[in-house]
Amino acid sequence: MSWLSRLIFRKKMEGDLEKELRFHFESQVADKMRTGIAEAEARRLTRLEFGGMEQIKEDCRESRGTMWFESLVQDVRYALRQLRKSPGFTLTAVLTLALGIGATTAIFTLVQQVMLQSLPVTRPDQLWRIGDRPHCCNWTGYSQDNDGQPGDWNLFPWEAYKLFRANTTGFQDLAALQAGNQALAVRCAGSAGPPETANGEFVSGNFFQTLGVSAWRGRMFVDADDQEGAPPVAVMSFHAWQEKYGSDPAVVGSTYQINGRAFTIIGVAPAGFVGATIVDWGMPDIWLPLTTEPLMLGTTSRIKDTRVDWLDLIGRVRSGTNTKALEAQLQSELYGWLASHLADMSPQERAVWQKQTLRLTPGGTGFSRLEKDYGEGLRLLMITACCVLLVAYANIANLLLARALRNRQQTAVRVALGASRGRLVRNALIECVTLSLIGGAAGVAVAWSGARLILYLAFHTLEQSTWIPVHATPSTLVLLFALGVSVLTGVIFSIAPAWMTSHAEPVEAMRGAHRAVGGGRHWAQKALVIAQAAVSVVLLSAAAMLGGSLRNLGHQDFGFNPDDRYLVSINSSLVSKYKQEQLLPLFREIQDRLSTIPGVRGVSSATYAPMSGNQMGNDIRIQGQPEPGPKDDVSADWTRITPGFFDTIGAQMLAGRAIDEDDNGNTRHVAVINEAFAKKFFGNQNPIGRRFGPGPIKNAGTYEIVGVVQNIHYVRWGFGDPARAMYYIPEAQMVQFDQPDIQSDELWSQNLGNIVIWAPRHPANIFMQVKTALAEVDPNIVIYDIQPYSRVIQGTFDQQNMIVSLAWLFGAVGLVLAAIGLYGVTAYGVEQRTSEIGVRMAVGADRSSVVAMVLRGAFWQVGIGLGIGIPAAIGLGYLMASQLFGVAPWNPLLLATATVLLGLATLVAAMIPARRAASIDPIQALRTECPTRKMSRAYLPPLGSEGWPIWCPESKVRDINHDEFLPSEMLRPLNAVAS
Amino acid sequence: MKAENRFDLPQGTLDLLIMRVVALGPIHGYAIAQRIQQMSRDALQVQQGSLYPALHRLEYKKLLAATWKSSETGREAKFYELTAKGRTQLEAETENWKRLTELVGLILKGTLEGAS
Repeated sequence: MSWLSRLIFRKKMEGDLEKELRFHFESQVADKMRTGIAEAEARRLTRLEFGGMEQIKEDCRESRGTMWFESLVQDVRYALRQLRKSPGFTLTAVLTLALGIGATTAIFTLVQQVMLQSLPVTRPDQLWRIGDRPHCCNWTGYSQDNDGQPGDWNLFPWEAYKLFRANTTGFQDLAALQAGNQALAVRCAGSAGPPETANGEFVSGNFFQTLGVSAWRGRMFVDADDQEGAPPVAVMSFHAWQEKYGSDPAVVGSTYQINGRAFTIIGVAPAGFVGATIVDWGMPDIWLPLTTEPLMLGTTSRIKDTRVDWLDLIGRVRSGTNTKALEAQLQSELYGWLASHLADMSPQERAVWQKQTLRLTPGGTGFSRLEKDYGEGLRLLMITACCVLLVAYANIANLLLARALRNRQQTAVRVALGASRGRLVRNALIECVTLSLIGGAAGVAVAWSGARLILYLAFHTLEQSTWIPVHATPSTLVLLFALGVSVLTGVIFSIAPAWMTSHAEPVEAMRGAHRAVGGGRHWAQKALVIAQAAVSVVLLSAAAMLGGSLRNLGHQDFGFNPDDRYLVSINSSLVSKYKQEQLLPLFREIQDRLSTIPGVRGVSSATYAPMSGNQMGNDIRIQGQPEPGPKDDVSADWTRITPGFFDTIGAQMLAGRAIDEDDNGNTRHVAVINEAFAKKFFGNQNPIGRRFGPGPIKNAGTYEIVGVVQNIHYVRWGFGDPARAMYYIPEAQMVQFDQPDIQSDELWSQNLGNIVIWAPRHPANIFMQVKTALAEVDPNIVIYDIQPYSRVIQGTFDQQNMIVSLAWLFGAVGLVLAAIGLYGVTAYGVEQRTSEIGVRMAVGADRSSVVAMVLRGAFWQVGIGLGIGIPAAIGLGYLMASQLFGVAPWNPLLLATATVLLGLATLVAAMIPARRAASIDPIQALRTECPTRKMSRAYLPPLGSEGWPIWCPESKVRDINHDEFLPSEMLRPLNAVAS
Repeated sequence: MKAENRFDLPQGTLDLLIMRVVALGPIHGYAIAQRIQQMSRDALQVQQGSLYPALHRLEYKKLLAATWKSSETGREAKFYELTAKGRTQLEAETENWKRLTELVGLILKGTLEGAS
């Protein structure tokens, strides 16, 4: 009979086994009776000779060879049966595990996608990128530094790329892609409707080939497409094709007006491929060849400017290439290239050019900004989720411990009946693993919806045009993670029950079960509850601190007044190709038109407005001050503004005057600086009337400072940092610079991207009115966004908001779990002490004192938990303080709140068993519990003291230490009550 | 029977004894135990706890085959017989056993001569 058929005929074989042994037994009995022994005695003797029938059967099964699998199936079925038998326990355990495993898995889903996932390309392990950290979006000059690391090159100019590509044989292919993105307005050829906005990305002709990505439809770029003078072509992303063009196959081969130029869409990228750069501010919808950049940007083009570094480089390394040697080769190529530009360098750059270097790093995950932006938050959440998991674990451990204690008698009986200990231990193990696998499966469901919730919290405020390639669906790796966590949980938590099983003494089965419940095991349970209370205080406190920090961040003084203001983001020149001299009248017209909207009090524009997400900076020189050294920080941010900007945005002038209508093309070039600029460059001197300019010292006389404005927080980060130096120049004044990169910015910055509208009376349909007004000026103006300014600021804190929400969520889950644990332990304790409570009430304790007794026990544990948790929370506060904004490491009110919350949870958790205890009917309690007939003296405390033993009216109580019965007078008062 | 006359069976010999007894003709478990006891003049008593696992092991190894038949008392019992494979195995093991006892005997004898 084969192994499989044995398994199938298991039932028959079991019957045969029983029949065979029974035959032996009966034959033996019959033989004994033949010698004259009475049947009852013969049976008794035979049974003694036989020993454990079940044990023999077990050995027989084992020798059949299918034992392991058969019994595994059996054990799993047995475990399921056991779990079904106690639905309360199972439900609690599964829910707890689902929450714990779910929270961790949800975070892990995101961690995996954000930090670990490879690009969906051929052999991502062969991809290496030049540079070691993602950078956005441009860098100007022949020296790069990065967070204090001098000379660490991450972005490159086109010329250097071509040089690397031509000379580095270690790369099978080397591709370049734009580090930022290009705003596009796409219009179907011949259509007159408003253009579709899109994100563009310039890439080299071999970009798709390098990554090994082939077209979903049509074809991808080849090098011939990336030549000056080649017919303009573009590749569309699958996402854009699906979302914006309804997966229309006719898109491929059609001609579109992209920023006013005719491009042919030659192909659609495959579904999973979203580019080599993962960002949260605009995945590319359309890829364009690098050489079409001048077509798009005209005079502000940077492709030929060797000072402008704007390309990320990623290459496929030939197999067998030593990447260290490759890195060294690239470094020497970089020196060679820099050496050829010595003449173009500024004195500062010339001083450090030999310190410039680059690193080659694995590029399989692409250029992800998400890791940088979200990594820290996700790590924090991962830690929090692990804390929740630990609290959940403590619960499960507690439940299993209680269960194992309750099952001790049963286990002992099984050992006495011949079950092998190995089998029993395995039983316990399988039960726990089965339980945790069910919990894990539920956890995956929790994780899936949890990850969706997190994504919603993190990104729900972003515009529809922004799409992030992060999914809530758990990957195989995540599922394996959840499975691993579940199995590990099961194995860890089966240890306690398994240990108890392996130490179960059959003799105990004969004794009273209640003797088995000693104080020591209660202690273990209480310790777990204490740990849970402590961890939940820490979690709650951390959540409250994060929340406080976020509140402070959102309500700080940003140096302007966001109330009653609206921010409009536009692009005027994507479609209409305005000449430079047409821009000033255009914005005057826009402002005049917007000002006529009823209820609008002020309108002003800027290249970029505070917290719009953009930032421009220059190294500046002050007239009359010496040339700065290479290490001196002379950077300042700048923007163009129209007259009335500070009034419109609600910022105060501190000295001098604001920019006004008289600052035009015919008057001297002026600038308004902020307080930080004045402090940084002039110290205590009066800056009014002083002159400065961007770049080399010969520009130092460009602008005359006419006013100082208060510091306005412009960037979307660094809220705890000192204010950045900034200067404002009028839209109406243009300077002619000799340096091409500065001149490019000078021209480009006149395209104002933001309009601030001050409308204190909140006109009803302001969004529609703004749109109409802009369309009247020029229907080709692309409007990205109109938002109340307070919403813009709030959007800046979306990520922190997510972390705070989740920290609260985890804190709440931790608290609920701790309450469940406390309830479990208290309820179990009450159940174990039913008879004791009955005795107490019989001898005169009233209900309230019983309730008080139970509550006292619960509050003791939580009290100790608080005693540990509060100092831990304060300690954590000190660790977190550097990450937080304006929050003290500890806050008495906050800790008091956490304590009160935990106290309330304790009250609820302990009240239910306490009320049950108080409703115990003394007589019932005494009658139902009657197994104990023998007691050791040690177990008998003095009458009337706490913890009086289980007692039965009809039993004689024998002190086995002295082998004598207790005097019955001792029992009389109790007997009197009971009868 | 007296306890002093009983032996503990050396490891692995139980299978040999069972096969030897079964070789005499189809026989059920109880009879095997009794036959071994008789043949050893009550010196060997096979415990049920060893007998049945051994029978099942031999059956699993296809050295024994089993059929259900009526026993002498009329009850259905499981009768074991030696298979062809079992017979070969029995012969080989009997031979082994003989050689082993001879060799052990030789050595034991030799030691006594050398010591005297």
